[in-house]
Formats: sequence, C-alpha cells, structure tokens
Amino acid sequence: MKKFISVLTVTVLMAVLFCSCGGKYTAGSTARGEITVVSREEGSGTRDAFVELAQIVDEDENDITYDGAEITNSTSVMLTTVKGNKRAIGYVSLGSMSDDVKALSIDGTEATAENIKSGSYKIARPFNVCYKEDTLSGAAEDFLSFVMSEEGQAIIEKEGYIKNDTAAEYEPMDNIGGKVVIAGSTSVAPVMEIIADEYKSKHKDITIEIQQTGSSAGISSAIEGVCDLGMSSRDLKEDESVKLKSDKLAMDGIAVIVNKSNALTDISSETVRKIFSGEITDWSQAEDK
Amino acid sequence: MTRVKESVMKCIFALCALMSIGAVIAICVFIFANGIPAIREIGVWQFLSGRVWKPSVNIYGIFPMIIASLYVTAGAIIVGVAPGVLTAVFLLKYCPARLRKPMHTAINLLAGIPSIVYGFFALMVIVPLIGEVFYTGGKGILTASLLLGIMILPTIINTAYSFLKAVPDMYFEGSLALGATRERSIFFAMFPAASSGVLSGIILGVGRAIGETMAVVMVAGNQAVMPGSVLSGARTLTANIVLEMSYAAGLHRGALVGTAVVLFVFILIINLCFSAIKQKKA
Repeated sequence: MKKFISVLTVTVLMAVLFCSCGGKYTAGSTARGEITVVSREEGSGTRDAFVELAQIVDEDENDITYDGAEITNSTSVMLTTVKGNKRAIGYVSLGSMSDDVKALSIDGTEATAENIKSGSYKIARPFNVCYKEDTLSGAAEDFLSFVMSEEGQAIIEKEGYIKNDTAAEYEPMDNIGGKVVIAGSTSVAPVMEIIADEYKSKHKDITIEIQQTGSSAGISSAIEGVCDLGMSSRDLKEDESVKLKSDKLAMDGIAVIVNKSNALTDISSETVRKIFSGEITDWSQAEDK
Repeated sequence: MTRVKESVMKCIFALCALMSIGAVIAICVFIFANGIPAIREIGVWQFLSGRVWKPSVNIYGIFPMIIASLYVTAGAIIVGVAPGVLTAVFLLKYCPARLRKPMHTAINLLAGIPSIVYGFFALMVIVPLIGEVFYTGGKGILTASLLLGIMILPTIINTAYSFLKAVPDMYFEGSLALGATRERSIFFAMFPAASSGVLSGIILGVGRAIGETMAVVMVAGNQAVMPGSVLSGARTLTANIVLEMSYAAGLHRGALVGTAVVLFVFILIINLCFSAIKQKKA
C-alpha cells in the first residue's frame, strides 16, 4: 500500500513537471488558444486613457472592456502577469515599460519616443499645463519656465516620459515669492511633484502645493482661478482653450504588451479594440496577416 | 498611597481595554453609517443578488463577489484543513523530539509572512504552473484556493495542536492499553475529545481566508462576473473594495463600503459560530 502511494505520488509529480516544461519551447510562434486579456481597474487613469485612445467604447463613449478580462490595480502585477503568461495581452504606460515583456507595434508603428513625438503612434496622450496667461503670478511663471527648461525636461525624460523638444535655458527670476497652487490629473502629478521638489531646492521662499483632482477638475479650477496652474493628461476642449493657454510639458505613450514568446510583433488598432472589448477571444483570430 | 496607585492603574487598564472596544464600535458605526444608505439607494435585493457590476453606468450588484468569496474560502478549506490537522497530529505524536522545535519555528514563520509576499510568490510560481497544467491564464479560483490553503495552515495547525495537546494522556494511553493502534487511538479516542478545538481552528482559518485581500487580488483574476468553473477568474468581496476604492466617489464609493458591510456581516457570523462552538465545549 505504502509503495503504491509513493509510486503514485512520484508519477503525479513527474506529470506536473512534464506539463510545466512542455509548453515552454514554443517561442517563435504566435501564441495559441484563448487570449488572456489583462486590464486595469475601473477609474485608473491609464485605463481611461487607453480605453479612449484605443476606442474601446460604445456609441455613448461608455467603457466596454471585456467582462472576462483579468483586472489588476498595479503596474507591476500587470507586467508580471504578461511575463508569465504566453497568451496574455495587456497595456502599460511607456514610462513603466520593462524588458520582461514585448511591446507590440500598432498598425505598423513601434511604440517609441520618436513615433510618439511625430504623432504616428496613436495611443499616446499629452501631459499639459494650462493657465490664464494675463493673471499668472510671478512665482507660477517662474516655475512654469523651470518645468519647460532643459532641467525640468531632463527630469521628465528620466521618469520615462517623452520630453518636449523646445526646451530652453532656465533663467531664474528675481524678487519672487509666495505660493503656487497646481491642481489636476493624477497621472501628471507624480512627475510634477518630482520637478517641484527639485525647484524648491533652488527657491526656498516659494511653496508649491499640488492637488490630485483629475484633469477636468484641474482645468476648471484653472479657469475659475482657484489654482495657478492646471494639469491635464488630455488636450483641452475648444471652450476650454479659449479661456486658457496650455503648454505641452510631455507626452506619455501607452504600450500594448504581450509575452516575449509571442511571435506577434504587429497588431492593428482594430484588432486591439476587438480583443479588449471581447469580440476576439482566441489568438487564432488575432493574426491580421 | 497604595490605594491611589491601585486605582490609577485600574483606570489605565480600563482605558486600554476601552480602546479596543472603542475601535470596534467606531469601525462598526463608520461602515454601517456609510454603507447602509448606499445599499438602500441601490436596493438591498438589487445589491445582494445583482449579477452585474458596472460602476461607470451605476449598476452595482455584488452577487458574483459573494459567490467568489465563498468558493475561494471553501477551496482554501479543502486544500488546507487536512494537511493542517495532520501536521498537528504529526507534531504531537510522531515528530522526533529534535525536529519539533524547528517545525514549530517554521510554522510560526509561515504565519508571520506578509500576505503581499504570499501574493508575489503565488503570482510567480503557482499562477504559471496552473496556467501550464490546465492551459489557462493561471489566475482564478483554484490558484487563490491553493494559496489561501497554504496561508491558513499555521492557524489550523496551531489551534488543532494546542487542543489535541490539552486532551488528557489517559485517553491515548487507555486506548493503546485496550489494544488499539496509535492511529486508531489518535483518530477515535483523542479526536472526539478535541473536536471542538479542531473545528474552531477551521473556523478561524475560514475567517482568515475570507478576509484575505492583498494576496488574493494578485492571483484571482478579479473579473467581476459569475465564475464559470474553478479555473475561471473571480473577484472576491475584499478584492472589489481594494481595487476601486482609491478612485471611487459618490454612490460608487457607497457601494464599496456596502461591500464592506456584507463582508463584516460574514465575519460576524463566522465569529458567532466560533464562540458558539467554544460555549458548547465549556
């Protein structure tokens, strides 16, 4: 009896081992089988932007992400999942991209800084700062020029975003002080905080307050004059751009990622839309050519 | 003088005791005050039995989450109870004396590992394994059950061990003297005497499994739909709260607190069961 049990155990263990090794050597072929769609949680800025840019919406602009999509609330779990699952597809901000996964080209365009800058890679969003030009305080103006300067743009690039090319030398203004209130997008705020820290080390007499309220709220408080600078991770709408001047401080791309063993390198934006809305559930339907 | 000291100390002790009670009351008041109005607004039945969760269009039904929590917990019990109880038996009756201490240390260490570490372990090891074996994404009820089964082991082992140890030696020895084997003596003489203890260990394990959040959220898949099989992904009550709380506002936030109310009621029921069993024993 005992012998039988131990033989059985060993057999089962071996079977498990074989199974787990079996599939690993399929590199070089497109993944087969059911697609594991990985998405972010409802309300996440990355999800909002991705859903909007990749058109995963119905006629009323409602999010129609596939019900069966795995949901994660962290970038690192997203990366680990796609790294460990040959049939997975997901998306991350280009600033968080890692070598463990593969970014797909969309409609033949690679997700690179150059393509985002030139506008050919479509799943990208601007990080804007908006303000009222005529009532901007001296301190806010000085901070803004720091953000747009080579120094500020270097921080943006270091954080993984795509910097603006029109950076100029930063020349600190004299005789300024007071408080700069910045409000808006939760996606822009982290990098803004890093820039603000750097700025504060140069100007001890200026305090900077950053509020994370979301893009729309940030823009409207800039219009109302509640804050000096508004942060937005989308372009300003027509009626907003009449009232405010906006500067693009950076671009952020969202990369569609798959497992490294997946031979797929290029995907059409239409297929991305179909996969994330659940119209396509099998990799065999996902090959365009 | 001593009297004064005594009464001062008495006050301090009483204050400390009040602190924990106060915390429980504060939490109760908070979640019920915030959750009940939202549940009312959605509709109690709609909220509890609704199968669709779409905060973006204001549809809040947590039935899939309730089912997922129950499935995952049941799975954890199936995975964890037998090894846990048998480990306790091993420690008590079979373990060589010099192995006992390292075993105990290891088990206590298992209890002390933060759940996020368990989560990462499962994400890196169990998820790919399940994915390869069953040819799925790897995240789902089965994975979460396996992980939780491991996580509740220390609770079950420690409770079962201490209750088995409390059984008077004469039960075991008397049974041996009557000619029963060791195994028979353990399972038919000692177990009935310690059954309430073993059971309460299991209930504590259930409590831990149903309340576990960080580890489960990483490996369960978190789809807010009815799970189709043990391999499909599911979103537990706890996962639902932690996933969306940071962005939620208005009714959405209320619905999440409402989810917490449901979870709280579950935990309450579990604890009542626990004390009922204890009472029965006493």
